[in-house]
Amino acid sequence: MQEILSVCNLKKQFKLSYKQQKLQHTDKKVLTAVDGLSFTACKGEIFGLLGPNGAGKTTTLRMLATLITPDSGDAYIEGYSVVKQPDKVRSRIGFLTGELKLEDFFTPNYLFNFFSELYGVPADVRARRKNELFSRFGIDRFAEVKLANLSTGMKQKVSLVISVVNDPEFIIFDEPTNGLDVLTAKTVTDFLLELKAQGKTIILSTHIFSLVEKICDRVGIIIDGRLAALDTVSAMTKEKGLEDVFFDIYAQTAGGVQ
Amino acid sequence: MKGAFRGMAAIIKKEFARFFFDRRMLITTLILPGLLIYVVYTLMGSFVTNIAGDGNYSVAVKNMPGSMEPMFAAVEQFEISDADRDDDYYKSQVTEGGLDIYVIFPEDFDEIIAFAGTSGYVAPEVQIYYSSSADGSTAAYSAFAAVLDAYEQAISNVFNVNTGGNYDLSATSAATYILSAIVPMVLIVLLFSGCMAVAPESIAGEKERGTFATMLVTPVKRSHIAIGKIISLSCISLLSGLSSFLGLMLSLPNLMSGVFDGVDLAMFGAADYLMILGVMLSTVLLLVAMISCISALAKSVKEANSYIAPLNIIVVVVSLLSSFLGNPSAPLYLIPIYNSAMIVTDIMALAVSPLNFIIAIASNIVYAALLVFLLTRMFKSERIMFNR
Ligand SMILES: Nc1ncnc2c1ncn2[C@@H]1O[C@H](COP(=O)(O)OP(=O)(O)OP(=O)(O)O)[C@@H](O)[C@H]1O
Ligand SMILES: [Mg+2]
Repeated sequence: MQEILSVCNLKKQFKLSYKQQKLQHTDKKVLTAVDGLSFTACKGEIFGLLGPNGAGKTTTLRMLATLITPDSGDAYIEGYSVVKQPDKVRSRIGFLTGELKLEDFFTPNYLFNFFSELYGVPADVRARRKNELFSRFGIDRFAEVKLANLSTGMKQKVSLVISVVNDPEFIIFDEPTNGLDVLTAKTVTDFLLELKAQGKTIILSTHIFSLVEKICDRVGIIIDGRLAALDTVSAMTKEKGLEDVFFDIYAQTAGGVQ
Repeated sequence: MKGAFRGMAAIIKKEFARFFFDRRMLITTLILPGLLIYVVYTLMGSFVTNIAGDGNYSVAVKNMPGSMEPMFAAVEQFEISDADRDDDYYKSQVTEGGLDIYVIFPEDFDEIIAFAGTSGYVAPEVQIYYSSSADGSTAAYSAFAAVLDAYEQAISNVFNVNTGGNYDLSATSAATYILSAIVPMVLIVLLFSGCMAVAPESIAGEKERGTFATMLVTPVKRSHIAIGKIISLSCISLLSGLSSFLGLMLSLPNLMSGVFDGVDLAMFGAADYLMILGVMLSTVLLLVAMISCISALAKSVKEANSYIAPLNIIVVVVSLLSSFLGNPSAPLYLIPIYNSAMIVTDIMALAVSPLNFIIAIASNIVYAALLVFLLTRMFKSERIMFNR
């Protein structure tokens, strides 16, 4: 199997302001969000990052998407370093996370065209993909409605479509089904499987066990910024459900759940 | 390499679309400023005119001195008739309102004042009859008295002046003075508020709403984002500034009509207006770049506005300075904002030095370019763009 992502000893600390220290009831000046993370993902697989709140999933994905730079370590996507060649990485990936918003003032149609321009997608390719994706998600019905007037689910569909506007081979999804009803969530997971069928590689973060069991090929469990376990989903869930496996691992690493 | 600039072009297009398709934004930053300034200044002008009297005054003059005739003739507001009937008739006319004022000069006024300054000279008396219960009459009285005062000062001057010409000349130079003192400051303040209306919203606002991050995950060069933003925001701010400027220039004749006999905007040629446009453009570039850099530091539009407030004060003070310091030397035209105000002052006074003009414009553009470079660095900085 061809390796498309390799993460090497990734580290990220955040300096805490006095206010943040008080909010988090700590007197530590720095918070280690990601602490020496290493793993690889192969072409055509869906790799899940599973972890509790604050484990460092989003921080890891933001580093992979070149939004923030690691303090040490590096990650290579299709052989390009996120630290040294961020532009190359950016044009090859798609990234979906709640942090990235679309301007309320514009319509899905305008935004699709706008981001196609930013990625340098040729006009004919753009028209074809827009057609495909908009009808696939039913966006054509509200393609000319300003985002401000769309529901959360509709907006998430637009964000999803725009995150793959450049037809990337490597796609990073941070909690893609968060805040969606079961129907919309299913549209999203179906789309992920469809992308996988097209040979794309997907890395997604979540704390929803069933989502991992349903669509992921391999899963890495992150606790406190460290990788606590890494295996194929089928191997990990051989004896018991993923939830129980997680509790066992959590008990070993973090000293039990109260 | 057309492809390399596609992202920049898209960003410029998006900023324009954001602005021109938003009716509220269009009205508040493009139409309203010019309209408001025009209306306010015109109202102020008509207020001044009202104090001075509304339009024309009917004046009957007995024994109009030959030396003064051309002077009053130059003031359009006075409709002067020769008084050939007896005093009582005109006095009753003033009481009844048929006449605003009735003026009596001594018969040999010109001969008497020719001896002004010699021993035994008795100042002649000019009588102005008016009606204090009528606004027009009171206004006509003060206007007429003001002209006499001006004349009195002119003749007691040590220099011999052509009195008819003197009045005209003083009106023009006073108008020019007001133009060169007020216009630069108002213009720069207007440009600043034009920039304030769009730049913090587009930089700090996008940061605050999380749409900036979406742009940062795309492969568009950070320098292209910075240049694209500065170019589009400058264009929009310039339009807003032009709208205000138009309102200002159009209202000037109305504003000053109460004081002067009409200010002729035609005294500025196409070259002058082109130069003003050039100064405005370079000033806007610099202002937008400054405001954008400060906005990039802020987490929200509100925070950006509070950071920019001190800059606003500095800009007002610096642009005011230009009307106090006369004849600055060329190196002073390197001082940003001050140089723009100075050039506008020079243009208004019809005395621009091409060298100073070029120094001012070029230095502004260089400063703006340096700030664009700084802005690019800021867009690359995780601490600035993602600090919470
Ligand atoms: N900009 C920041 N400044 C300070 N601390 C931060 C910052 N970003 C993240 N953190 C901290 O880093 C840790 C990891 O955060 P992260 O968002 O990566 O967690 P997560 O695994 O995505 O959690 P969740 O499931 O809740 O989304 C948290 O403790 C968080 O408070
Ligand atoms: Mg998260």
